Amino acid sequence: MTGYWPWWAGALGLGLIAVAYPLWTGRTLGVSGAWERVLRWRSEREVERDSAVDDEDLVAALVMAGREEFGEVAAPPEAWPQGRGAVAPDGLPAAGGPARGVPPWSELVPPPTGSAAGTSAAHAAARRPLPVLCSAVLLVAIYLGGLLAAVTSGRFRWRLDMGAGFATIVTANPVVMLLLLFGGGVLVGFGTRLAGGCSSGHGLSGCSRLQPASILATAIFFGTAVAVSLLLGRVI
Amino acid sequence: MRSRGSMLLACALFGAALGFTVSNIGFGDYAELHRMFTFQDLRMFFAFAGGVGFAAVVLGVTLRRRPPRTPVHAGIVPGAVLFGAGWAISGGCPAIPIVQVASGYLPALVTIAGITVGMRACQWFTTRYFPVDRGSCGM
Repeated sequence: MTGYWPWWAGALGLGLIAVAYPLWTGRTLGVSGAWERVLRWRSEREVERDSAVDDEDLVAALVMAGREEFGEVAAPPEAWPQGRGAVAPDGLPAAGGPARGVPPWSELVPPPTGSAAGTSAAHAAARRPLPVLCSAVLLVAIYLGGLLAAVTSGRFRWRLDMGAGFATIVTANPVVMLLLLFGGGVLVGFGTRLAGGCSSGHGLSGCSRLQPASILATAIFFGTAVAVSLLLGRVI
Repeated sequence: MRSRGSMLLACALFGAALGFTVSNIGFGDYAELHRMFTFQDLRMFFAFAGGVGFAAVVLGVTLRRRPPRTPVHAGIVPGAVLFGAGWAISGGCPAIPIVQVASGYLPALVTIAGITVGMRACQWFTTRYFPVDRGSCGM
């Protein structure tokens, strides 16, 4: 098929996204996770509001407990050094005060050991998912990026089929096509959430971080897709 | 340290980059996807594998500490099997139907509806019958 990028350009594009996204956000990229969160918009928003209050309460309680135990020797969280590698007054790695936001790479760094007032709370705050609005923005941006690619490449065209390939390989019957698309979509939605990731979460982000669970999941969903594709022309 | 605005900007930029890239690789084209899965043309497979390899090398050099390992939970194998079958049938994975609609393939809206139903069904199923500690997607 003409008009598509050569493999190395696609690899470079996907690789740069897989590297730059966690560098910027401190999180891994996952489309199915974002999608699920958008579907649970109301409950996610409630959790965000509650966790913000909980974090503040928890840090305040821990700071109070620390002051009661050790007096006013320790500096308040606002005075802690920020960022990775910084050291808090107690000599433990500074996790970044919750009020200061989330340090980069927080998702990729294991929880700190040891106990210091505010440290565990800060780490919990750092591991909190991005706001659900970010998930919605991600999905809308995927649409806009795809639209830009289709328009600039000349591939954009409104159509009521899935292309000649689908008609030839699977079915040209529009009713059967819609049933298969819906059924396939159900499998994708159910499967990605049961597996805890998709081709971006497990495949791109997880495999590039050499996560055994993601490597296993990717091998299985690629292998299953190969087997089903080989069977498609014979069964339908 | 990243502000809320910075995070939103990142999601907008990298979401658009992802949509632009996968569309131009050809993942939204069912015929191209089928050619990859039946080993008739491995261009897209090399693009995906190359992207993973590139990121693995860069992250391996950049990260000073190895990320904590995510557990292999009980949902991995059955979930991946269902996902792989659905991907081969519908051509969606789940960013791809969005890109397909953006390219003008209106029936992909039905795939999106199916994915939505599937996610809801999984939420119901795992809550009642199959509680697993899922979640490798860091969003």
